Amino acid sequence: MKRTLQFIASAIALIGIADAMYLTIAHYTATEVPCALTGAGCEMVLTSSYAQIFGLPLGVYGAVSYFAAFALAILAAYGNQTAWKLFGVLATVMAGFSAYLIFVQAYYIRAFCQYCLLSALTSTTLFVLFLISLAVKPRSETI
Amino acid sequence: MSKPESKKSGASGVPVIIIVLVAIVAIVIALAYWRGTPSGGAGPRPTPTPAASNTPNMSSAPLGATPPNYLGSPNAAVTVEEFADFQCPSCGATHPVMKQIQGIFGSRIKFIFRHFPLPMHDKAYDAAVAAEAAGMQGKFWDMHNLLYTNQQIWSADPNYRQVFKGYAEKIGLNVDKFETDMAGIGAKGRVDADMQRGKALNLTSTPTIFINNKSVAYADMNVPTMQKMIEDALKDTQAGQPQAAQPAAKPSTAANNSNSTASSGNAAPKQ
Repeated sequence: MKRTLQFIASAIALIGIADAMYLTIAHYTATEVPCALTGAGCEMVLTSSYAQIFGLPLGVYGAVSYFAAFALAILAAYGNQTAWKLFGVLATVMAGFSAYLIFVQAYYIRAFCQYCLLSALTSTTLFVLFLISLAVKPRSETI
Repeated sequence: MSKPESKKSGASGVPVIIIVLVAIVAIVIALAYWRGTPSGGAGPRPTPTPAASNTPNMSSAPLGATPPNYLGSPNAAVTVEEFADFQCPSCGATHPVMKQIQGIFGSRIKFIFRHFPLPMHDKAYDAAVAAEAAGMQGKFWDMHNLLYTNQQIWSADPNYRQVFKGYAEKIGLNVDKFETDMAGIGAKGRVDADMQRGKALNLTSTPTIFINNKSVAYADMNVPTMQKMIEDALKDTQAGQPQAAQPAAKPSTAANNSNSTASSGNAAPKQ
């Protein structure tokens, strides 16, 4: 059961990598991202001053983080318990940062970007999967 | 503890192989997409500007279009300088805020608009040139207003040049001259000059606003906060030395500004 969760987490992290890579590539190739779900929100969010930290777009940090989450989840699925603990720490930080970014979009930029919302969803899912894995641990031992 | 370890040692190579494979696939996709994107070209092209030192040296940067497009008083103690892109939604959202600010402060400030069309906006540069071409007939701010209030319309229209022509007619321009000016180097040169100033200031996003050379955070680009900031700046200049706010715009040259029909004393642009 726990191993299944870890494989699911690695698959979710792959979605996160794709999302973050897309935004990073769009940034560096100066491509306008289609924003069907949230109107003009993507532009407003992605060109805002919040979209970069130390001169790098947030997508870069996202891609690196999701890749790390993916690697840790895979290592955990193949038995590395320390990797799963590290995954838990990383997923918590990522979910927390995503919550902050949603706050920024809602209160400062007053616009939403669907790709950022997807990233928030994936990072929250990673966090929830980790929490579930903590809960299922004793049950799996009794079976 | 021993159980997972035995499992790990049994299959230790597998996760590493998977991770390396995913990394390779990600890099290959990134490179392929990078090279394949028509607007991407061969190398990295950061959207707004290359990064990022946020300590602009306003006085050593190129002056930008001279004289600049400005509203308010050329001699005002406080200069508000906005770098914006006509196609950027955030700039469109900030436009009514800046109009209100001009309405509040009138000739107590000098509001300068600078062009900083982003490469990701395919029509933004032409829109800036259209505003400058209108400026050559003394209607910069009328075109500026039309471009922002109708941003979503022309941004989505492949025949946007025709739309600009329609705006030129609407504000009473000589349309033939407008089209000639749009094609000429005069209007483009002014846009390019503003962009050079923006690049030298390491702008990372639009809109970017400076109040007496101090940049304003996007979160603060609302009427109450900016009103407070400008009031503070006015107090500072009254209390201390009257600071020459903006080296680009000497009053004497600004007074000759062919684009500044609304310049002296006209606080708010006409809609």
